[in-house]
This record gives sequence, structure tokens and C-alpha cells, in this order.
Amino acid sequence: MKKRFKVLSVCGSGTVTSSMVALKLKDALDEKGISIAATEAKPTEALNLISGGGFDFIINTSPLIAGDYGVPIINAVGFLTGFGEEEFIENIMAVINEINNK
Amino acid sequence: MIDLDLVLLDMQARTWRDVIGKLGKLMLDKNDVKDSYIDAVIAREEELPTGLNIGNFYVAIPHTDSNHVNKSSIAIATLKSPVEFSEMINPAGKINVELVFLLAVKDPKQQVTLLKSLMALFQNKQLLLKLKSAKDKSEVAILLKDIVI
Repeated sequence: MKKRFKVLSVCGSGTVTSSMVALKLKDALDEKGISIAATEAKPTEALNLISGGGFDFIINTSPLIAGDYGVPIINAVGFLTGFGEEEFIENIMAVINEINNK
Repeated sequence: MIDLDLVLLDMQARTWRDVIGKLGKLMLDKNDVKDSYIDAVIAREEELPTGLNIGNFYVAIPHTDSNHVNKSSIAIATLKSPVEFSEMINPAGKINVELVFLLAVKDPKQQVTLLKSLMALFQNKQLLLKLKSAKDKSEVAILLKDIVI
């Protein structure tokens, strides 16, 4: 079972908000024995980074530019504000389980 | 600890540009940010807004790239009347913001504690409501004592 995941965290500036949600996700998944390595990016950088390969999923707080990302995309705004936090973690776990069942 | 010189209570502003301009000026006076900072924040807010819905209470966290920043800092405004911002995840959506945190972050990788303490702030709606109704800066200082810059 895979326990390390590569995550692309996307926000408008590619720094502040994406780092916040990535840090929080890292903590939340640590408790479940899962580790993540996050890369922060702006929407304009996301498609290019994803095509470089190796990412398991995307979390985003700003809208992504339309395109074929080829990995699950999970809206992280609820996780940022705390209103919709459980739903976000459920979505993340569903994606992780799906990856592990492939 | 936040810099109380960067706190404006009951700010009167008509547009989100006014709010960013006034708060940004405070940061500029302290040399926390570069001359390019305010325009950069406004340009970013136009394209990728930062309004957030904290359970039917609305805040905004305008910010921009770290190359416009000299030193990490946070400026805060409570608004006398709500000001319309656009929503982060859905830029077409307008929300009436009551509390604005203008962020200047020098290096996110080095500022884990700051980012975590900010996150914790957004999780605490009661605290945000108290902040919104704060009457003087000493109240703000007590409410935000956990913010580590």
C-alpha cells in the first residue's frame, strides 16, 4: 500500500494559501500514517508541472486553467476556512484509497 | 506579535481597492513592502481574488508574490461597512467582507509558524467576530496574541 503521495497545491500567488493548505494537509494525514510531499504552484504553472509527471493529485484554492490534468483535483477552500474540512479529508481519503486499489 | 501600527479599526472604504491601498500604505511607511507591492496586490486581486466565506462571515486575505516584500507582516482592517470582494474559488461570486488581512510574506517555506497561526485564526469564527467588533487596538493585541510573525 502506497503511503507517500506527491501533491500539487495550487493558489493564486503560488505561495501563501497553497503553503497553508499543504501544511495543514500534511498534519492531518500524518495522523493517518500517510505522508505527502507538496509542491506549491500558481494556476498558470499547474498544467506544465503536472505534465512533468509524478503527482498523485491536485488540491486548489483558486480556479485552475481549463485543461487535461490527468489526476484528481480536490477543492481545498473548505479546508482553508474550516467550513468543509471533514468533507475535504473524506475526498482526499477517497482519492488515496482509489490510487491504492488500482 | 502583530504590529498594532498596521491595524485600522472601523475603516471607511468604498471599494476593495481602497482597503488594499490604505492598508498597503501603512506597510509601505514601515518599509515592510516595496513600492511595487500595492499595485501588485491589486493586480492579483483582480485576477485571482482572496475573499473567503467563514461560515457566513466574510474575510479577505489579499497578498502577492514575495518579491514585492521586504519583511513579513500583516495589516488588518475592520470595516465600518462591508466592502465587496470576489471569492477565491469562484471569482464571479461577490461577497460582503467585514475583515481584511493584508499579508506580506517574505518566504513561505521559512514561515510555517506564521502560516499555521493564520490558518488557526480562520478556523476560529468566534475570534473573528470579536476582532470585527474590537473597539481599540489593545483588544486586537489580546485576540491576536497567538499570531507569530
